Amino acid sequence: METNSFDAIVVGSGMSGGWAAKELTEKGLKTLVLERGRMVKHGEYPTATKDPWDLPYGNRITQETRKRKYVWSRTGYPTPANEHWMVDDLDNAYVEEQPFDWMRGYHVGGRSLMWARQSYRFGPLDLEANAKEGVGVPWPVSYDEIAPWYDKAEIFAGISGSVEGLYQLPDGKYLPPHDLNCVEIDFKKRLDEKLKRKLIIGRCANLTAPLTHNESPQRGTCQARNMCIRGCPYGGYFSSVSATLPSAERTGNMTLLADQIVYELMYDNDKGKATGVRVLDANTGKQTDYFAKVVFLCASALGSAYVMLNSTSSRFPNGFGNDSGELGHNIMDHNKPGSSNASVDGYLDMAYTGRRPNGFYIPRYRNVGNDKRNYLRGFGYQGRASRAGYGRFNDSAAIGEDLKKEFAEPGPWNIGMTAFGEILPYHENHARLDRDKKDKHGLPLLVINAVVRENERKMEEDMKNDAAEMLEAAGFKNVKVRSDSYNVGNSIHEMGTARMGADPKKSVLNKFNQVHACKNVFVTDGSFMPSSGCQNPSLTYMAFTARAANHAVEELKKGNI
Amino acid sequence: MSRQDVDMDVANPELVRRRELLKRAAWLLGGAISAPAALAILQGCSAKENDAAPVATKFLDAGQLALVAEIAETMIPKTTTSGAKDAGVPAFIDLVLDAAYPKDAQDRFTAGLAAFDAAARSAGKAFLERAAGDRASFVKQQLEAALAGEREPKPFILLARELTLLGFFTSRVGITENMDYVPVPTVFHGCVPLSQMAKHVYWE
Repeated sequence: METNSFDAIVVGSGMSGGWAAKELTEKGLKTLVLERGRMVKHGEYPTATKDPWDLPYGNRITQETRKRKYVWSRTGYPTPANEHWMVDDLDNAYVEEQPFDWMRGYHVGGRSLMWARQSYRFGPLDLEANAKEGVGVPWPVSYDEIAPWYDKAEIFAGISGSVEGLYQLPDGKYLPPHDLNCVEIDFKKRLDEKLKRKLIIGRCANLTAPLTHNESPQRGTCQARNMCIRGCPYGGYFSSVSATLPSAERTGNMTLLADQIVYELMYDNDKGKATGVRVLDANTGKQTDYFAKVVFLCASALGSAYVMLNSTSSRFPNGFGNDSGELGHNIMDHNKPGSSNASVDGYLDMAYTGRRPNGFYIPRYRNVGNDKRNYLRGFGYQGRASRAGYGRFNDSAAIGEDLKKEFAEPGPWNIGMTAFGEILPYHENHARLDRDKKDKHGLPLLVINAVVRENERKMEEDMKNDAAEMLEAAGFKNVKVRSDSYNVGNSIHEMGTARMGADPKKSVLNKFNQVHACKNVFVTDGSFMPSSGCQNPSLTYMAFTARAANHAVEELKKGNI
Repeated sequence: MSRQDVDMDVANPELVRRRELLKRAAWLLGGAISAPAALAILQGCSAKENDAAPVATKFLDAGQLALVAEIAETMIPKTTTSGAKDAGVPAFIDLVLDAAYPKDAQDRFTAGLAAFDAAARSAGKAFLERAAGDRASFVKQQLEAALAGEREPKPFILLARELTLLGFFTSRVGITENMDYVPVPTVFHGCVPLSQMAKHVYWE
């Protein structure tokens, strides 16, 4: 039994789990990291250096993948180059009471391996909104409290970006920004002149220059290949596999076990503490208990909620720490109801070299300052301008020598962008367990029921109309705004299932991500978010995880947990 | 690993297919189409560069593959630079149709191919019996008609074109002969005059 005891257990090895592992081990805690999927070590990226002709089927998704990874296929992301990071949905069932796109990566590194690397801070506008508007619960953490932890996360991870001085999108500690291209530079000028809206280069976790610290000797700079989703052998972008887990490994304090499915927290009624976790081996089904003084749940918003809902006891009959009845509720994501594109005349003598793993960003401007809309919150756009590739020949009748002459020239410019809108927290948007339905491990299935509602629908009008307005104001041609059907989850930013708050009657976690009712359990993935903002949330998970781990160590030292 | 290597990953079933293929070729010679056309099919089959052995297929039969090969080669012919057949496009189309397209799209492709064949015949001569220039004007005519008409579902000739381009521009010769392919660019420059670039840069 002794060998199964640790100072800390971290459940999950992705964006949040990697940070928890790094911080806890660096502070001297013997830490067990449990990952439900297979082992991946930095450098073990099977497709990372394949040339286009080395990939089967022109890198088109196969029918077999469509069938097995039927949820992932809804995003259009899976290809032979990256599908090994995407879970087999047939083997990992859940119940969609409403259509819900649950995109999972079950392997060491989780979705930090294939994230889009966009890294934005939440600011006072986001953190104060719930309190001002009486929505959900107030954030229990102010911007000033979390800002130093954003600094720490950005400096360690290496985030490139520009300093802009925007209230709605606070600046951070950045490596040099990527270039905008010629068309994007002019789009930026015209948006500023005509509509007083800002366009900035995306802030992304790619090393445009060497890191400003020497804690990650295994990482090199970004090589402008734009193949990040395959894993980067250069360590050019941040993932837990390339950055945080190697740091944890170097302390000698980490034990990392793959193929271990944590399905339950163990609770000691007398001590009022969690004692550890119960685990199934994904391959053999062998059941093991692991014990620790402190447990960090970093298994993703729905993954951690699953473990808590499945951890019932006389003290917690409705799920672990669920005195408020909010566990599993308030699921949010970012609403993505469509994208827009246009063709761009001119600039034919200009191009770009290298492949930029980043695009432009138009930060939120709705309901900012004096702007007031008939809905709450706002949205931002992510997009890029580029010169058309060989796909343009699909719609041409040129053949033979004529076609070959066209091959020699880059295509015309076009531009596209997608809006990401804030979704409010609704108690009705929830996940729960169906104990009558079991997965292949004999564990109950998660049932998910989440939809966008009136506020989001009203916002969609602006998301579409503004896109057309901006592209037209810039003088672009053939402006098209496409309506896409959006299922919650499709932005792969699911969050909110164990929200933090000052009031234990209305929230699951306190301001340090501790379960109100059991202080030696921390939940630091997207579960804790009381609101979603419209920014990509990973950087916020990193900052809160680092802060929570620091707090856990202090509380352990004080004997409080 | 090249695309040809990928083919070889499934080598054993291919032997079985190859025997079927030879039987089919014999049947074709036996009378379904004229002798010159059958000869052209066989020439088409064996015209693939550096590959004297009969082509083992996954989805198309030998006759269909030969016709697809010449349609692709008509769109992207060998000139001073490689053509569709040099780039392995015919075998690519066979593989990608088999693995990546649903049944209804596969059926539309084969039905479209048969209709293409019939249209050429009713316009005077089987496609494979035509000279290169004659093939080009027939394909061009088909493309222009398709681009002017209903595009949903995608007409055969446009699907054939899309697959040809995809196969060509994911092949080594297609990319390296037509673009400046730099696997590791090291840095991104946002605004570069085309005049300072050696060749059309590969960005895909």
